[in-house]
This record gives sequence, structure tokens and C-alpha cells, in this order.
Amino acid sequence: MTTAVTIPGHGGEGEGAARSASMRGGGRAAGGRTAVAARARQIVKAYGAGETRVVALDHVDVDIARGQFTAIMGPSGSGKSTLMHCLAGLDTVSSGQIFLDETEITGLKDKKLTQFRRDRIGFIFQAFNLLPTLNALENITLPMDIAGRRPDAAWLRQVVETVGLAERLKHRPTELSGGQQQRVAVARALAARPEIIFGDEPTGNLDSRAGAEVLSFLRRSVDELGQTIVMVTHDPVAASYADRVLYLADGRIVDEMHNPTADQVLDRMKDFDSRGRTS
Amino acid sequence: MTVWKTSRRNFFAHKGRMALSAVAVLLSVAFVCGTLVFTDTMNTTFDKLFAATAADVTVVPKAPEKDDRLPGNGKPVTVPASAVGRAAEATGAKAAEGVVSSASVTVVDRHDKNMGSTSGGPTIAGNWTRNALRSMELSSGHAPRGPTEVMVDADTADKHHLKLGDELRTITANGDIEARISGIATFKVTNPGAAVVYFDTATAQTKLLGGPDVFSAVSVTAEAGVSDEQLKKNVATALGDTSAYELRTQEESAASSKDSMGSFLDVMKYAMLGFAGIALLVGIFLIVNTFSMLVAQRTREIGLMRAIGSSRKQVNRSVLIEALFLGVVGSLLGVGAGVGLAVGLMKLMGAMGMELSTEDLTVAWTTPVVGLVLGIVVTVVAAYLPARRAGKVSPMAALRDAGTPADGRAGRVRAAIGLVLTLAGGAALLAATRADKASEGSPLLGAGVLFTLIGFIAIGPLLASFVVRVLSAVMLRMFGPVGRLAERNALRNPRRTGATGAALMVGLALVACLSVVGSSMVASATEELDKSVGADFIVQPAGGDGALIVDQAAKALKTVPDIEHLTEYKVVGARLTAPDGTTENEGLVAADPTYKDDVRRETVSGELAAAYGKDAMSVGETYATKHRVKVGDRMTVAFEGGETAKLKVAAITSDDVNIDKGAMYVNITTAARYVPADTLPQNMIMFAKATDGKEKEAYAALKSALAKYPQYEVKNQADFKEQLQDQIGRLLNIVYGLLALAIIVAVLGVVNTLALSVVERTREIGLMRAIGLSRRQLRRMIRLESVVIAVFGALLGLGLGMGWGTAAQKLLALEGLGVLEIPWPTILTVFVASAFVGLFAALVPAFRAGRMNVLNAIATD
Repeated sequence: MTTAVTIPGHGGEGEGAARSASMRGGGRAAGGRTAVAARARQIVKAYGAGETRVVALDHVDVDIARGQFTAIMGPSGSGKSTLMHCLAGLDTVSSGQIFLDETEITGLKDKKLTQFRRDRIGFIFQAFNLLPTLNALENITLPMDIAGRRPDAAWLRQVVETVGLAERLKHRPTELSGGQQQRVAVARALAARPEIIFGDEPTGNLDSRAGAEVLSFLRRSVDELGQTIVMVTHDPVAASYADRVLYLADGRIVDEMHNPTADQVLDRMKDFDSRGRTS
Repeated sequence: MTVWKTSRRNFFAHKGRMALSAVAVLLSVAFVCGTLVFTDTMNTTFDKLFAATAADVTVVPKAPEKDDRLPGNGKPVTVPASAVGRAAEATGAKAAEGVVSSASVTVVDRHDKNMGSTSGGPTIAGNWTRNALRSMELSSGHAPRGPTEVMVDADTADKHHLKLGDELRTITANGDIEARISGIATFKVTNPGAAVVYFDTATAQTKLLGGPDVFSAVSVTAEAGVSDEQLKKNVATALGDTSAYELRTQEESAASSKDSMGSFLDVMKYAMLGFAGIALLVGIFLIVNTFSMLVAQRTREIGLMRAIGSSRKQVNRSVLIEALFLGVVGSLLGVGAGVGLAVGLMKLMGAMGMELSTEDLTVAWTTPVVGLVLGIVVTVVAAYLPARRAGKVSPMAALRDAGTPADGRAGRVRAAIGLVLTLAGGAALLAATRADKASEGSPLLGAGVLFTLIGFIAIGPLLASFVVRVLSAVMLRMFGPVGRLAERNALRNPRRTGATGAALMVGLALVACLSVVGSSMVASATEELDKSVGADFIVQPAGGDGALIVDQAAKALKTVPDIEHLTEYKVVGARLTAPDGTTENEGLVAADPTYKDDVRRETVSGELAAAYGKDAMSVGETYATKHRVKVGDRMTVAFEGGETAKLKVAAITSDDVNIDKGAMYVNITTAARYVPADTLPQNMIMFAKATDGKEKEAYAALKSALAKYPQYEVKNQADFKEQLQDQIGRLLNIVYGLLALAIIVAVLGVVNTLALSVVERTREIGLMRAIGLSRRQLRRMIRLESVVIAVFGALLGLGLGMGWGTAAQKLLALEGLGVLEIPWPTILTVFVASAFVGLFAALVPAFRAGRMNVLNAIATD
């Protein structure tokens, strides 16, 4: 457990309950928009057929609240990455519907889906987030360059300052530390003002200190910039930065927790582990 | 054993990549084997033919010792008829008969259409004898009797739809023979393309040889049990004095006939080997590049092998063994493809009129051996450098993330060496352009070409980073961020980009160089024609190849109206003794005095007109300098087949020309005074000038006068220039064939590089797709990278080639190649085409990149 960085405080709510799964945090939503940034209805993701059929997601319903930091947790093979990939339009579902705001993305063709990712989604991966041939600034503006949009200069400056990279914009990824690289990735995800940022174990490759740094940036972007973030992680400390933690097991959402602390998350995980073993 | 196993598994794990390299090996081996099979087959065909046509012992007139450069006088050398009787009396001789054969004839049908071969095969006229029955049989009609009957070979009859009773006119040096076809004879062996007609012996003798008492040769048949060698000795004894004869056994006759075919076969062979060389050279790049990339890709794997205890040598060997597999597979396929190529060539030759039968297809045991050894050795040698690099991979590489950091020091050393070589090469080229003698300049030129080539290859990576930036600034900016990504990708591994571009560079450099030289040749010749040729029309044999203009055609031309003058031009052989006592065989140009207006020549001393005076002559500057001949000196000229004369040197002509360089002129009347009319050569070429304002009429009249002699062409200056261009154009077509081949192999290289890059960048591509790069943009990015690499190679190649070509022209200016002409349209076309080559090469890699699964690409492992 890291102690070097203070865990940001939460609004006083204790352990959340699985019952009120959706409508929280609506107060932070940008005006005029629905409080739900993305929702999934009865999504199933299965691989193979017949006896070898493996169900990764089993009729999952989930709402991602706007302006909230959601963490998805679960043991290996629980389907947490698959859920994220499906929500982000990287993977297709076998059945069910996924909406981003009011747009249904299930059934979109690759071309539309690519555009959708480019214009409305931001990504932070565990590793290999940056193109080695581009410098930090070029990497940050890449999604907008690809789209042929001009980045909003003031916003870009603010993002760059927020992640503390102003000095390193001309550096190539190989000249940056792992933490700095991930911060560039965060900046890239933020710079295009996507509706949702998806993170796939964004701190998985970092030491605890660098990880905490990145996580606090994510937290701040939610708090200060109103950004919606969904993050897959298996690290209880990382999850403790979230407003809400969803627990996946065997392709189903089995629990959720609001405003968790690392210890609470850890306890819950242990709980799952033992239950998993006994059942 | 484990080394074998890993090599084998690696080889099959990279089938696709290996396939591309194997194609390169295959192509070069195929060309080499194809050449060998094709020439062997031609040899077999001609061996069979000549063995079939030659008698046991043949007595031919001893060829007068003469220079190959001289065209001869167009009249046959003969043996007296009496030799036949004497040879027949030789011990062991079953029979002897006189044979008439002449290749300086033209056969036309009643529409004056030439019945001869279109592929350069000869037209042969002879007498129908038992000897002819060795290789032919009468298939319809009867043997010719009397001067109005002729027999023709079945191939020619088929080709021109000739039937019994059709009229054929045979044009000979002794007049025309008009006869009807009485019989058709079929070859018993493959006839590669000769047209053959037979007459009865008396007609053949008078018309082909000019008299009833002579033959071209005597063929002697041996009695059973008498060897050819023995018979040859006996015939020599029976003939008594053999100083005028040469005796040949069947074997010797065949060999001698084949010797005369030699140069034709050689040209084919060298052209084909040129193709093989190009394929091989470019193939080497491809192989080096493939193995470099495989090694780079497997750095971690190799590091692991090293970490768990493989020695450097083992790693090194495992890569070489992979190359061995590749060489074996590529060469085996190449040998097969080579045989196919040879068959294809034979069909092609068939379409061009040269018949070769697949029955004669000859695959000597050496062919596959040569092919295999060549393919394998080249592959293994090309893989040596990458293998060595693999051996140097440290065990630490297994632990590092990906890829080896570029070896900065090695890169700098390489660039330095490359720079030094390029500069040295450039200096050599510059020195070559300043050389005073072509013989001094050529080694400099050769060294310059070699050094700059190797130098460019060595500094390829350095140039790549520079040139690609410039190219991108020009070409890729309009493609926005995708263009920038493509630029960065092309720059990412300059060594790889350099090597890939170099493969294209080598081929294009050769082509650019040759096309610069070719264009300069056309331009220089055209300029000289404009400057020196005053004649309106030129008459010469259509086929070239030493054929001469028969007297009856010359006579027909003399009756043409609207002609101011008609110039005859003969080359008369002579033994020349200069005042300094040295003696040389030379060909004197015997021409009408009007020739000096037809082809104007500068003199360094004396007046050219005076050289056409009685017992006068001119010599060339080079000869004059060498033998210290001055105007007014007397030369002793022993005319071939004529008397010896003392001729006064009246002019010395400048040798700074291409036309008639070094020629010595005498008036035809002077030559005729010393050479009897029947040995005076026929005209080699004729010139005419029209009366002013009557050019059109004169041209038409000349053409109609020659209508009966389709073997000659009349050309005005425009036609002549066009012909010149066509001739060089044909040479250039071979060059473009080379280009096509070089490009095919280089394209394979680009495909290979891109395919590997795509695989290497799987994760990057996945990332870009995830954050919103569309398939289209992705494909465009890869295409642009490909185009940049191709254009980079083209730029280097064309630049280098034009440099070589210019240096060559400057050097050859000493030999009369005075005008430098850079064929910009060709160069630009090739340049633009290279961009398309890049697009084409990117098709498959781009498609595959587009199909890549985003999730697989970003999956963390």
C-alpha cells in the first residue's frame, strides 16, 4: 500500500450498495446532458460455439455515470477487460446493446466505430501507449491530427500543465520514464475532450509512486474537469481513487462499492476470493 | 542437431518472408539455367543439323588469309571441277561429288517478296546432290532439271504458301535465275530457319559460281570400314598438291559451321546472363535485408538462446543454415523455372521465325549443378553479415524490451567508409571524363562506377534519413498527420530503408546509365549525320551483316531519273606498305569521287578531291601519325586478287568522326585498274543525290527501281535517322527488360520490408486504430511509407546512373560520342513509375495491416 500520496477524500458516503447501481453523481454532469455517459443492456460476449463455448460477459447491465470515476475490478478471467473493450467500441458483443450518451454503438460498422472512438473516446493502456516515432506533444495531439481537427490551444495548455509535462513536450517516448509516458497517455486521452476515457490497467506497469501520480491526475481530471473515466484494474489502491467500483466475476457484475478506500476494496476482494474457492 | 532443428523451425515459421527471398533466388537461378538450357538446345539443334549436312570428308577451297573486318567481294571462292575426279579415286572413297552452295543469294516470289528467313537465318542456294540427301528428302515433285526448275525446302514453302509450279526468282551475283518449283524437299532434322533452294548442278555452277568448271566444295563419301580421318589422308594424297584446299572430316565441318554461328549464340547468351546478373545482384540485397530483419525481429529469442548457453557460433550457424534451406529451395525451383524459361524462349524464337524443336531440349548435367551451386552460395554468402550480427546479440537482449538499439559506432564507421568510397569513386569518374585516351579512362570509369555504387550502398542509411526528409517535405505534407507518420516510419530504421532502397537503386542506376549513353549515341550520330551526310538517299542491304549489293541492282539504280549523282561504295581488301616499310592488311574504300559530297570529311592536310585522282589515295589521321605518312608519299598497295600499285597520298582525313573513321579512299576507277572486273567487290552501300527540287520523284523512282530487289532498302536522311534510333531503341529495349526484372525483384524487397514492419508494429498499429486511425488512413500510411522508400531508391539510382552515364559519355567523346543527351522523358517516367511501384508493393502489407485485430494488437501479455 502506498502512503506517499494521500488518497483523495470522498464526499462522506460510506460503502455503497449494489442496489443503487446507477444514478449517482449526476450532479457533476455537464449541463443539458443525461447523467449517464454510457450504458450497456444485457450484453453477452461469448467465444466459440457448442462445447467449447466460453461466455466472457453474461447478460451484463451497467450504467456509467457522467463525471464519475468508475473502476472495474475482478479476478483474472472475470471479463473485466472484455467489458471495457466492448464499452469502448474496441470489441463487438454477441448480443445486447451499448449506448454512448444516446448513440447505440453496437452494430456500428468498423468505419463508424473508428470515428466514434476517435472523436468521443479516450484511451490509456497499460503499456505501449505512445508511438515511438512521435514526440510527447505529437502523441498528445495525435487523435485530433488523425481527425483533422485543430486542438484547442488553451485547453491543451491546461491539460499539459495539469499533467506536468510542459518541459518534456519535445521528448520522444524513449526519453521519458514509465510514469512520464503514462502521463503523456493521460494527456492524450484528455486533450481531445472525449466523453469517456477508458483505462486498461493504466498503472499496471508503474511503480507505486508513479502509479499514484497518474491516478491523482485521473482523479483531478474528474474533479476539476468533469471528465468521465472508466478504469479496469486489479489493484485495490488504484480502485480506491474511483468514485465507484464494480466487481465482476464469471462475466457478471456481482457487487459494487461507492467511494471506497483501498482497505475496503482489498477486504472485498479477499471476500470474493474465499467465496470463489468455497462455491 | 538442435541447431538444425531450430533453423528448420525458424525457416518454416517464416514461410511468407522466405518465399519472397526464395523468389529472388529462383529468378536469378532460373535465368542462369534458362540461358544454359537454351544455348545447349541451340547447340544440339545446330550440331544435329551440321552433322547431318556434312559429308564424311569435305574438300573446300583454302580461305585466303584475310581480315575479318573486311566484307569480302561477294563472289564465291571455288575448287576446280577436276578435284572431284581426283578425290573419287582416293583409296577408301566410295564416291565424290561436287557441291555448289552459296549464301549470298536472295530468293523472291513473283510478287518480289523475299522468301528468306525473318530471323536472320541465311538463304542458301545449291545443287541437288546425293550429299543433300543426307539431311533432306524429296517430299513432293521431282528434282530440278535444267535452268527453269528449282526445288525449295518445305519449311519455306509452308511459310510462304508455295506450291509446285510457282515461280521463284533467285537473285545471285551472276544474275537472276527465274525458275518454277519442280519439287519440295523436307529437312530430316530441325531446320532453325534457313531458306534453301536447289538447282541442277549445271545451273547452280554457272549462276551461283560463275562458271561450269568449279564447285564450292567436294564431298567425299567413305567406303564401309574406312574412318573419316583415314579417308581425309587418302583424299589429300589423291589430290596431290593440297595447298589450295582445306580438307575436313565430318566432325571438322560441323565444328567449322558452328564457329560461324558462334557470335550469334554468344549475343543471346550474354544478354541472358546479363538478366541473370541483375536478378542476382538485386536478389542479394533482398536476402541480406530479409535476414537482417529476421534477426532483428528475433533479437529477444536469440538473446534467450544465448542466455541459456548457445554459443555465438551456434547462433551464427543457425542463421546460415536457414539461408542454406532458402538457397536449396530457391535454387531447386529456379532450375525448374529455368527449363520452363528456355522452352518459353524457344517458343518466342519460333514466333520470330527461328524454329527450335522441344525434341532437342538439352539439359546438361552441369546445368542443375551450376544453378544449385550458384543459388546456394549466393544465398549463404548474402546471409553471412546478418548471421554475424545475430551472433553478436548479447544474452542481455533477452531481458530488454524490444529491438536492438542501433549500433551507433558501427553506423558511423559505415557512413565514413561509404563517404570515402563515394568520394574516391566520384574522383575516379571525374578523372575518367578528363582522360586523354579512352583506354586510360575506361579503368577509371569502371573503378568510379564500382566505388560510387558500393559507397552509395554504404551511406544508404545516412542518405535515407536526409533524402526521406526532403522527399516528405515535398510529397507527404499534403497528407497531413498520416504523411508525417509515414515519414517517421520510413526514417525509423534508416539502415533498413537504405537497404531496401538500394535494391531498387542498383537496377535503376544501370538502366539510367545505359539510357543516357544510348540517347547520347543517338544524339551524337544524328548530329554527325546532319553535319557530314550530304547525300539525299542511302541504299544498303536490309539485313546488314556483310551482305553486298548485286550488280544488277546497282545497274537498275543507275537508270533512275531525277538523280544528280549516284555514288558506288566498295571496300577492297589490300596489303598496304607504308613508306616506313610496315605492312598491314587494310580495306580501302573505293568510291566514286561524288562520295566526298555524300559524306563530307575534314582533312588535316591535302585536298580530299585530289585523293580521287589517278593513282592517288587518302589515309586516315591515325594511320598517318602511326606510320609517319605525309601528303605526297607513295604507298605500295597490293590489291587482293589484283595487282600491286603505287598510290600517292593526296589527303589525310581527320579521324574525329564516327562515320568512315580511319577510312582510306581511292577512286573506283583506280581500283578497277588493278583489280579484274570479276574479282572487284560488289557495292557495299550506295548514295544518291536528287536533282534540286526533284527529291520526292527521285525517292519514289529509287524505291521502284529496287522493287525487284527487296533485300535492299533505300532511305532518305529522315528514314536513316529513324533507323539509327530504332537500332539503339532495340538495344535500349533489352535494357528496359533488365529494368523490369530489377524492379520485380526490388518490389519483392519493398514488400518484404513493409510486411515485416507491419508485423513489428502490430502494437503500434493497434494503438493507432484504438485511438481512431481509420483503416483507410492506416493503409494510406503504409502506402506512403512504401512510396517514399521506392522514390528514395529511384532518386539515388537515377542520380547515380545519370552520373555514370555522363561520365561514360565524356569519356566516349574521345571515340566520337560528342553529344551528351539525358533522356529526361525516360528518367521522369521511371521516377514517377517508381512511386507506383511503391504503391504496388504496399498493396498486400497494407491490406494485412488493415485487417489486423485491434484487440490482439493491444492485448497486454
